[in-house]
Amino acid sequence: MATQVLPGGALRGDAPGGINPVGIMPGFVTRDGVTVLEAEPLARNPEPSRRYYFYMMAPAIITLAAISLYPFFWLIWMSLHDVDIMAGDKWVGLKNFERLFTRDAKFSNGWLLLIQYSAMCLFFEVLLGVLIAVLLNRSRWEKVLVTVFLMPMMMAPAIAGLVWYYLYNGTFGWYHWFMQSVGLLGETSILGSPSTAMIGLVLVDIWQWTPLIVLITLAGLKRVPRDQLEANMVDGAGEIRNFFQVVLPNLYPFLLIGILLRFMDNFRFIDSVLILTGGGPADATNILPVYLFDVSFQYFKLGRGAAIALTLLVVTIILGMFLVKIFDSPAARNVGRTEG
Amino acid sequence: MASKDVVEYASPARRIANVAVVVFLAVYLLWTILPIFVMFVSSLKDLLEAFRIPAVGDWSGIALFFDFEPTFKHYTNLFVNLNFGVYFFNSVAAALGSAVVSVTLGATCAYALSRTEFRGKKDLFFWIISTRMAPVVAVMVPLYAIFRSLELVGSLWGLILAYTTFNLPFAIWILKGFFDNVPFAIEEAQMVDGATRMQAFRSILPLVAPGIGAFLVLCVLFAWNDFLFASIIGSGGAKTLPVATKELVQPQNIQWGSIMAAGVVTTLPMMFLGLLIRRYLVTGLTMGAVRE
Repeated sequence: MATQVLPGGALRGDAPGGINPVGIMPGFVTRDGVTVLEAEPLARNPEPSRRYYFYMMAPAIITLAAISLYPFFWLIWMSLHDVDIMAGDKWVGLKNFERLFTRDAKFSNGWLLLIQYSAMCLFFEVLLGVLIAVLLNRSRWEKVLVTVFLMPMMMAPAIAGLVWYYLYNGTFGWYHWFMQSVGLLGETSILGSPSTAMIGLVLVDIWQWTPLIVLITLAGLKRVPRDQLEANMVDGAGEIRNFFQVVLPNLYPFLLIGILLRFMDNFRFIDSVLILTGGGPADATNILPVYLFDVSFQYFKLGRGAAIALTLLVVTIILGMFLVKIFDSPAARNVGRTEG
Repeated sequence: MASKDVVEYASPARRIANVAVVVFLAVYLLWTILPIFVMFVSSLKDLLEAFRIPAVGDWSGIALFFDFEPTFKHYTNLFVNLNFGVYFFNSVAAALGSAVVSVTLGATCAYALSRTEFRGKKDLFFWIISTRMAPVVAVMVPLYAIFRSLELVGSLWGLILAYTTFNLPFAIWILKGFFDNVPFAIEEAQMVDGATRMQAFRSILPLVAPGIGAFLVLCVLFAWNDFLFASIIGSGGAKTLPVATKELVQPQNIQWGSIMAAGVVTTLPMMFLGLLIRRYLVTGLTMGAVRE
């Protein structure tokens, strides 16, 4: 059995129950076949410190519970009722869900469009983002260009939506004029026709959020181990082979994090979609969160809205579990490493 | 990358590749700044000038874009006639209020989480981060019902609370990672010297202050840029800049000059803040998963 001697972690005092700074006495302790140099407190003094940490945590946890956990249970309650502002709430059991899964075409359509929309955004953002990051990484202008490139991210998505709405306009929009001039579009604007409206939304998302993938990829590129690159080059690899054999595998954890974050953001934010199309034309861009918004805050069917919201939440939580798994994985620990 | 160490021969193929790279980056640069540029320029145009556009296919007509008399009347109009002073204040109050609450509560909680172990810590953590990742519309449905019964809809307090639903978990999560990087030995040394736990906590604050400040700014940014919460929870009494800007879009007679000016007023402070915390941006936007 391998015996490893590690300098004692317990000097940091992260043993359960806190530390007794005075009673530290280092010694070798064998645990699970690994010998560790550990400082065992002579006299354990756990209780006061734990209570102290508990008091420090309590305000935030209580606040968070009040504004997130409590509404979550309220949401479940709402989804089982017919919520009416005037007449009061009426218990309907699982009827809201039954309606969604059996009779509501907009619900299934909304999911389909949401997946479609996110997939299109992500595909182009990752492709473009990685390409730009690789090119920037060896450019003299990296610092300046990155600073300019990330400007769209600072803009409120609602404002970005309004600016693009103006650019897309069928009578005085400059982007519409450009697309007409190069023969991509006819008289109707990109948002005006059901077949192109989704592309219009995806372009805005690409414009605003590709920089995030660029930033993440750049951080990843700085951490590609040099020795691996050099070894591969000694083996006769050119730059392109180097990219696919060494750089890309090293980028995967970074890209995975980027993709998941963007995917969840597409669920989270619909500001620009609401402003640009509001789900139209002919429901061509009625992605699920937009439909949820309409049901809840246009028609004020809050019970049905709650049922839709619950399905959306469940999927987000599952996605979140994946994300946290990646955060905790050894590969990601490498990602989060401070500059080496 | 290692390629910098390698002697590069400027073969014709490489020269062409280099030109292609420059052209590609230039096109992307143009694509990035054009909407922002159009926003700035259009905010200075008179109503009719903003609607002028060349005939389809008339490339020399691009000059028409620059053919105008700059005017600042949209900006004065915003603040004099359209009440944007109030909306600006609402935006600042809601964003700063929730950021301060979130970071204050979040920092103490994150510190404690970073320095202690207990059963269920992982689950607590997952709950915190899933709160942050929940879709805003989904959160808003029950929140709206609750706030309506508490008469918080349309008030700044309601908006601050609403923003705290995503800022507080963000602050806890990201500051915990931040405190994890501060060696416990510093506080330990203080406590050996007779400091209380609170004094030890205070002793490391100067070390983490820049980071805490940066994440406070990020919280402001997230809240400032929100549209959904503001349009429903803030509707009526607590209108913020993005909502007020959106409301300038009327079925008839859209005031594009004013809308673009309002866009500039909303965007400019955030771009400035973004540059200010550039170093922490990647960490903040990836929930601490990626560090630069």
